[in-house]
Amino acid sequence: MRTYKLYIRIGKTEADAAITTNENGSVTSFLFDENNPDYQAYLEWLAEGNTPLPADEVNNGS
Amino acid sequence: MAVPYTFGSATSSIPLSQLDSNFATTITLGNTAVQLGNTVTTLNNMTMANVTVENMTSSTVFGFKNRIINGAMVIDQRNAGASVSTTTTGNFAYSLDRFSYLVSQASKFTIQQNAGSVTPPVGFSNYLGVTSSSAYSIISTDYFNISQPIEGFNTADLAWGTASAATITLSFWVRSSLTGTFGGSLRNSAANRSYPYTYTISSANTWEQKTITIAGDTSGTWVGATNGVGLQVLWGLGVGSTYSGTAGAWAATNYLSATGATSVVGTNGATFYITGVQLEKGSTATSFDYRPYTTELQLCQRYCMAWRQASAQTYLATGQCISTTAALIVLPLPVTPRVTATSITVSAAADFGSLTAAAADSTGSTITINTGSVASITINYGATAAVFVAGSSTIFYTKSGATNAYIYTNGSEL
Repeated sequence: MRTYKLYIRIGKTEADAAITTNENGSVTSFLFDENNPDYQAYLEWLAEGNTPLPADEVNNGS
Repeated sequence: MAVPYTFGSATSSIPLSQLDSNFATTITLGNTAVQLGNTVTTLNNMTMANVTVENMTSSTVFGFKNRIINGAMVIDQRNAGASVSTTTTGNFAYSLDRFSYLVSQASKFTIQQNAGSVTPPVGFSNYLGVTSSSAYSIISTDYFNISQPIEGFNTADLAWGTASAATITLSFWVRSSLTGTFGGSLRNSAANRSYPYTYTISSANTWEQKTITIAGDTSGTWVGATNGVGLQVLWGLGVGSTYSGTAGAWAATNYLSATGATSVVGTNGATFYITGVQLEKGSTATSFDYRPYTTELQLCQRYCMAWRQASAQTYLATGQCISTTAALIVLPLPVTPRVTATSITVSAAADFGSLTAAAADSTGSTITINTGSVASITINYGATAAVFVAGSSTIFYTKSGATNAYIYTNGSEL
């Protein structure tokens, strides 16, 4: 089951991006850009009633 | 028929009309310059050796003849030859560069460069290999395809959607463990114009070259000279009746293959290999357009840029530390992307490091995209320990031993 975690980009104060781990162990991070297929998949995942993990408070990009 | 001229002693011009079908003797036109008339002369079925041409024009042979990028399946930036599971449904996802898959059900086949390690056709070193993962019975709304969308800038001259629509010819080498009639389709960006096609694979596990000539669509809306999808080429691996149509005709609907085509996903372990893909203007399949590796790679990098471990500790980029644990790294793009990437995929953060002010190693704990632009990708680098000095510069690299370290961009593909 795919999961997502929000993150705060360096220079930002709020989470506007997320990461997800892929089947092969790689990690994809993406901005909340409506043209991005990863973001579109994230929106579909949200629409299924799922909730992402919150962003870490420390702004180190994680 | 008496030949009215003796070529060896001719002192005046010889009309070509004399060289008709009755003149069956092999001739040599001297060893000096020979002028073949001053009007248009059609020379059919000729083989010419050592020809020097001062000026020549052609609508199909020169320039960007093959509109398919990576048709020889040489470039695999994302996977470096590793197998790809088709886990993404409903949207295009990519395998070898510029070749995507489109499936309605996840994980019914895998894609891998040179899957099965068979010998490619003569002239090729690589192929895209599909292997069926099960014996799946498709339902009417299923679709399993591989595809290449071609950017509008590279198809605009075809003038599809107008009365001047050009004929194109699709050619490719294919090999399958199955035989029979296979199908595919061409369609427009809006998926409301499509042309199902068929081809026959006669012998199992044998490379065969297929050629399909298609009269351009004079109807519908086709994206012109923009960075959108100008034309999409699809190969069917099992497509249900909803998305299958009569071969050989344009239809105002979304067909992904031809009615009655073989289902590769219907046989567990079935293989479908393809290479030498060429789509060109005109009604003839000409020889494959072998482009320089660098050119082909750069063409691919417009849609995906990958940074990989080239040797131990490959230095990739520079950046600035913004705290004791974090740095912003700027990865330059060698090619202007089709659209700005807004996503990256990283093998593992620990595959990368960034030098501290004392030139000591650090190890990545997180690597995420910060911003993308037409010139670079900026990433957030988080270190596993507090080793940086805020304000210092840093050099970002792949760690020694991380032989499969990679970062690649997403979001620039069609």
